[in-house]
Amino acid sequence: MSEDNSEPIYLDYAATAPLLSVVKNKMLEIMEMQATGQVSNPSSLYSAGQRGKEILEEARQNVAKLVNADPSEIIFTSGGSEANNTVANIFSDQKIAISAIEHPAMLEAVKSRTHQYVEIPVDRWGFIELVKIPKDSDLISVMLANNELGTIEPISALVDTYKTKSSFIHTDATQALGKIHIDVRQLGIDYMTLSAHKIGGPVGIGALYVKKDVPYRPLIIGGGQERRRRAGTSNLLLAAGFGEAAKWAWDNWSCKQYAKVAHLRDRLRDRILNEIPYSSINSPNNNCLPNILNVSFQAAEGESIQLYLDLEGISISTGSACAAGDLSPSHVIMATRHDAEVAHNSIRFSLGTNTTSTDIEHVMNVLPKIIKKLQGMSTIKLKERHE
Amino acid sequence: MNNNPFAYSEIVKEHFLNPQNFLMGDEAKYPHDAEGIVGNPICGDQMKMFLCIKDDKITDIKWKTYGCASAIASTSALSELAKGKSLDEALAIGPKEITEFLGGLPQHKIHCSVLGHEALAEAIKSYRSSTHQRS
Repeated sequence: MSEDNSEPIYLDYAATAPLLSVVKNKMLEIMEMQATGQVSNPSSLYSAGQRGKEILEEARQNVAKLVNADPSEIIFTSGGSEANNTVANIFSDQKIAISAIEHPAMLEAVKSRTHQYVEIPVDRWGFIELVKIPKDSDLISVMLANNELGTIEPISALVDTYKTKSSFIHTDATQALGKIHIDVRQLGIDYMTLSAHKIGGPVGIGALYVKKDVPYRPLIIGGGQERRRRAGTSNLLLAAGFGEAAKWAWDNWSCKQYAKVAHLRDRLRDRILNEIPYSSINSPNNNCLPNILNVSFQAAEGESIQLYLDLEGISISTGSACAAGDLSPSHVIMATRHDAEVAHNSIRFSLGTNTTSTDIEHVMNVLPKIIKKLQGMSTIKLKERHE
Repeated sequence: MNNNPFAYSEIVKEHFLNPQNFLMGDEAKYPHDAEGIVGNPICGDQMKMFLCIKDDKITDIKWKTYGCASAIASTSALSELAKGKSLDEALAIGPKEITEFLGGLPQHKIHCSVLGHEALAEAIKSYRSSTHQRS
């Protein structure tokens, strides 16, 4: 992205990936057709409506293809949060087992709909402890990959161990989509959450994969759209954008591109460990998304690191949600490291296919000095940790 | 559109980028007459003030802070406001004065200015109790 160091370096792809230019062009094309009346509401029988329906179904096919689903199993939603809420709503007042490090969009959706929930504990690296899942769960919800750590959960093993006729399995694949190969048939899950803006699609659209013949209840009612599974006028523009992003990921073998990104991520990890004293890695070395690195620096608070990096033109995110107005430490790092200080001191780098070795070089030109300054002015005395 | 949008005011940004009077490294190497510490790393911020005092006046002030940008900027601003002041004048520098000096803080960061004030008050309190004990 930045041969020239004065160019901004974006290392927060896990928050939102930049809109792909093919997606932007596709959406401009649709908007032009909408503005000139060539396409209209896909529910309408006249030609402009049917043209809209064709575009919508093509988008659905592209999304389905990326995860090896049947297009009829894909329901467009307003995003990952709605997809997660839809699943939680199907199992209201039932027994739900949910990993302790789920995204709040699933954790809170579940907690608000049933009192019979169990949090599945995770180990130091964020991997779920399979044996702790109650056998009588109606729904088990474990994300395919964690958004803060990158940890790829053992979903196939979970399905092999716990799938029964009366228990169903949901996985939130928001972060994993486009980064690793996903096949809903191979995984054997019943529901899967997807989101467009993590793969270069627009914000405001996602999808829920729902396997045929599993329990379903619409979250939004009052219309026959999406085969009566999600009411509301079809969002043709955003669905087309999502479809185009999914097509790009498929056509360009995005998972293979991300495998190359892993080398840059690993170099960043190794250099941090070698060059910055009192640093520790929160992300696992193996079974981790190729683009995520979560790291803590003793005595240096995450938001300060984030803002010093911002002033150097580098965008990253922090495990301390402090910047977003929530002062509590990351529930993910608390579940893995059990230490509020480590959680407050954590930051997340998430790389993309545009990240270059020059970007990593630039990060390592400035990060050690930032950490040294913060550690030097900190009230906390540095100490060797023995894990 | 702002070409250089930053999460806080320009004054906070300046104090964060170029903090004034902070004590780098080992505090034992800085001779001082009083110190006060408040906050807790578990909560995400902690501040420590070091005062040199002569004739009831703050002749020099240093600080250490663990925390976010507004915590660093609040302590830096307070150190500038308190330097050269009498102890009573310094005690009168409350969270409101610190926040105003910084050109405002987001509502959820006001506690940073409260902590700064409390750390300074703690240092002055400890100085007064120790000098009282000595006299």
